[in-house]
Amino acid sequence: MAGGRGERLYPLTKENAKPAVTFGGIYKIIDFTLSNCLNSGIRRIYLLTQYSNATLDKHMHLAWNIFNRELDEFIDNIPPQKVNVDWWYRGTADSIYQNINILEHERPQHVLILSGDHIYKMDYRKMLDFHQAKQADLTVACVQINKEKAHQMGVFEVDDAFRIIGFQEKPARPKTVPWDRSKSLVSMGVYVFKTERLVREIIDDAKRESEHDFGRNIIPRMIKKRSVFVYNFKDEKKGGVEYWRDVGSLDSYHEANMELLKENPVFDLYDATWPIRTYQEQAPPAKVVFSGDEEGLSRGVTINSLISNGCLIIGGKINRSILSPFVQIHSHCRIENSILLRGATVGHHARIRKAIIGEGVTIPPHYTIGYNLEEDRKKFTVSESGIVVVPQGFIVD
Amino acid sequence: MEQAQKKILIVDDEESIRILYKQELEEEGYAVILAANAYEALEIVDKESLDIMVLDIKMPGMDGIEAMQKIVGKKNNIPIIINSAYPHFKDSFMTWVAEEYVVKSSNLQELKDKIKQLLNKTPE
Repeated sequence: MAGGRGERLYPLTKENAKPAVTFGGIYKIIDFTLSNCLNSGIRRIYLLTQYSNATLDKHMHLAWNIFNRELDEFIDNIPPQKVNVDWWYRGTADSIYQNINILEHERPQHVLILSGDHIYKMDYRKMLDFHQAKQADLTVACVQINKEKAHQMGVFEVDDAFRIIGFQEKPARPKTVPWDRSKSLVSMGVYVFKTERLVREIIDDAKRESEHDFGRNIIPRMIKKRSVFVYNFKDEKKGGVEYWRDVGSLDSYHEANMELLKENPVFDLYDATWPIRTYQEQAPPAKVVFSGDEEGLSRGVTINSLISNGCLIIGGKINRSILSPFVQIHSHCRIENSILLRGATVGHHARIRKAIIGEGVTIPPHYTIGYNLEEDRKKFTVSESGIVVVPQGFIVD
Repeated sequence: MEQAQKKILIVDDEESIRILYKQELEEEGYAVILAANAYEALEIVDKESLDIMVLDIKMPGMDGIEAMQKIVGKKNNIPIIINSAYPHFKDSFMTWVAEEYVVKSSNLQELKDKIKQLLNKTPE
């Protein structure tokens, strides 16, 4: 599923579909889910896309054109075709309903349905094994979170055998799991269906007044009369710690990026046993220059940061920040807690903190961003928690 | 108060079938509208308020499966009975969009029973 409009990530989604938004300097958000597929041996993938598809399509060609059709491996992009209906995809369930012919053609026994906009590492084979062992009609992957945080989400009630017996949407009093009264189960947007059951449910849903959404419509209805189980997500690499992030809002996107910068991050990009694939263009190595005076900012210093290839740091201090390829930082700058996307340039003596600087944006010398939010709000988008976003194409003067 | 007459659309490319079904179903007290192909059926769906539809699959031009998907796209609340001489389409996911699947037979009893069942079915 890669068809969300990404409104809460605006203006990052102005020119990019949400799954094609850059994350962690060099990746696109969708790379994490697709890397999970690749690492789980799943190589027959349909990508249901909708909004601002061009950049996503380009990325798919550059980064993911690796499967071999002759071995029946593929990733096929399926935008709405409007063959039999007069509308785009009206919801997650409708996007599959409109492509029933593909399921008919493929005739798999089970279908794995994934969201293309979450950051996590998961071996889907283990979930599929669980689903088959339980002979479930539907298995929903869930992550355990503290119940205090669950009131904003969809919460599942389960019995001791992991069977789902109830669903609460944004509950005032979230149900907890039988094995830990402090934790609630929330959906990760990862589902395994028996194919025939999936087809029956999406047809039934298409004939109803409905938002045509798996989370809001299909699953709550199925719980009452079908065999629906929870798969309790365990992070592939971290044992007891489950790392799963929805990066659907500017704040959660910024926070998840910043989490990569910890000395021992829970989500480790450097783990060679669970590689994250992407496309990287030809670029020279990152370069940091100017030894300058030790106290002043003419000295190029980067700490706790990800610096991509092609970056040029000509003096200035960079702390807790992520620089995508070809970012240039000029002398006496101070960059903190910020994400600078591809080709952004920061002029000398500029100061930036808690900001996202869009692709190709040039920040003039002596400019400040993130130090006076009232002023920043007059020109830029400022998120709830005070992240300033300068969108791609914006002329800063 | 007398119940309003239920309106059935029959879509079949064979004229003899259309005539037979019209006669038999009118005797059961239904109002019957006929379409000789899928294109006519789609026009009727736009104009008429239908209670149920009986749809052939193999027809020249647009077949019944394609028509059914377009019909559900226009109006998703008309029950559809597929009525085909071929039983094997029953396994196709595409035909599951229909509420019932009745294989053609010289005896129309099964079709009549299914029509009655679907018309009496109360929505969930």
